[in-house]
Amino acid sequence: MANIFKRDATIHEFDWENLGDIKAGREDLGEDMPVLVYRLMQFTMLDILTKDFGPDKANEYFRRAGFLAGSEFAKHVLDLSVDFNAFLADLTKALADNKIGILRMEAIDPDTGNLVLTVGQDLDCSGLPITNETVCNYDEGFISGILNAYTGKKYDVREIDCWASGDRVCRFNVSVE
Amino acid sequence: MSNKDLEIYYTYLRDVLYYPKRAKIVPEDFSDEGHREFAEAMLSFGGMVIEMRELAGSLSRGELDVSLPSSDNELAAPLKALHSTLKHLTWQTKQVAGGDYDQQVGFMGEFSVAFNEMVAQLAERRREMEAEVVSSKQRTDELAKANSIFEVITSSMAEWIVMVDRVSGEHLFANHQAKSMLASDTFEQQLYDILVEYSASMLIDDEPRKEEFMLISDVAAQYFEMMLYPIKWYEHEAVACVLTDVTANKEEYNRLEEVAYKDVMTGVFNRLYGMRMLEQWTDEKTAFRLVFVDMDMLKYVNDVFGHNEGDTYIKAVAELLQEVSSTAVVCRLGGDEFMVLIQDRDVRGRDMAEVFEGLREKLAQSSVVGENGELMYNRSISFGIIAVGENNVLTTSSILETADERMYEYKKAHKKERRV
Repeated sequence: MANIFKRDATIHEFDWENLGDIKAGREDLGEDMPVLVYRLMQFTMLDILTKDFGPDKANEYFRRAGFLAGSEFAKHVLDLSVDFNAFLADLTKALADNKIGILRMEAIDPDTGNLVLTVGQDLDCSGLPITNETVCNYDEGFISGILNAYTGKKYDVREIDCWASGDRVCRFNVSVE
Repeated sequence: MSNKDLEIYYTYLRDVLYYPKRAKIVPEDFSDEGHREFAEAMLSFGGMVIEMRELAGSLSRGELDVSLPSSDNELAAPLKALHSTLKHLTWQTKQVAGGDYDQQVGFMGEFSVAFNEMVAQLAERRREMEAEVVSSKQRTDELAKANSIFEVITSSMAEWIVMVDRVSGEHLFANHQAKSMLASDTFEQQLYDILVEYSASMLIDDEPRKEEFMLISDVAAQYFEMMLYPIKWYEHEAVACVLTDVTANKEEYNRLEEVAYKDVMTGVFNRLYGMRMLEQWTDEKTAFRLVFVDMDMLKYVNDVFGHNEGDTYIKAVAELLQEVSSTAVVCRLGGDEFMVLIQDRDVRGRDMAEVFEGLREKLAQSSVVGENGELMYNRSISFGIIAVGENNVLTTSSILETADERMYEYKKAHKKERRV
């Protein structure tokens, strides 16, 4: 007999509610986990996607997933009703509180809205071996999704420095499209 | 490795550290493949060190808008991170300077604590200032409301309100009615002279007081009652003068006084007023003379020549008696009797008996003659004088009786002089 109380949803289509009640579900283990596990999932997935679709396509998938994550994160965690300065402060705190990274603003062009920002101790890449690559494609999408949720504009976010390329912070050029 | 090779490496490393501009090593100069690779590695390492030193130098001078070493230079990576942090702090400081107190610095130890505390204090100060602005605005609004009420009240009041600096005499405020009045050149100077005079006589701690005064214009006199309130008006010690035009009241009072105290036919005071003044002066121990005057032969004139002539005779006597002194109280007691009260200070050394004899003679000259020049009747008066001193013990009745008796004696003594 079918359980009519089950949610009519599939895990394959993202929904914030599908992230579940982590605190209730992990009563003893808690809501946190090692960065190692996060990276284990991320880089194995990257491995599979790269093998099946090639590195460019795999990076593109990561960027799109990051955009979706950033957009949902902004809608459910951040206050989108405040002015830009307050929004940036809120974002910086939220990224630190959730141990995603230390966001820092290097420059902002008030005329164009273009930004240069850095993320230190980045969840995705800090501590990776040097490979001469910028690897934070997921972050690029994540930042773009957050800003898009706040302003409604489209952003082209490109990582220009990365831990994996030999730097100690990840630096992103953010341009309004 | 030969000593010469070692010397080249040593020199290059020393120059990288101390003389970076001349630091030079050429891998191709080495004949050995291994040395060439080693020299290339040293050249790469030396380049990184020099780049790092240049970046460190720029940062030490606060020069943040510099081109950064590429990601290939891993030695410079921590400095690039520091550069990023400094750029961020610069941006944050600009934000704070622009009033963005949401800025927080994290993960920078004591600096984070100090910076965040500074921003918190600035935010607190701004909150206090904003609260003060709100409070100030509320006070301003309340003052504006109070002022609005004040203006409505003062503009709708019939009274004139004028504020004067009691020290300098400066005009500080006038309500609408007062301004209209002040537009009249006739009153302005007179009024200010009075206000300044009264204001100057008040001290700031004095009780409010009432004054009365009169202004004379070309056409009429105006009477005022004025309340004076000493107040602090901003930096001024001021006096608020509230003036009421009581001219109409005064005129009505004068009219009633005329009716109550004047003899209608002659215009001199009546018996009521005369007796009141007699009692007042007696009570006040004023030194004065009372002259009881009786017209001679009035009954004859009335009977023979009619009451109109009798009235003319009475008016002539009343007019004559007023020549004694402008300050004398002349009153008609009734019929043919008059009383003249004159204070000793206004007698000015004159013998009042002589004065009245003089009046009597003057009256005789106005005696009435007929068409043929014959004398119709002789106008004359009889009088009795009593001097009342400061130590007087007589009652008013006694005083009047005494004067009456003396008048009678006078009349009797001069009976033969009267002729028809």
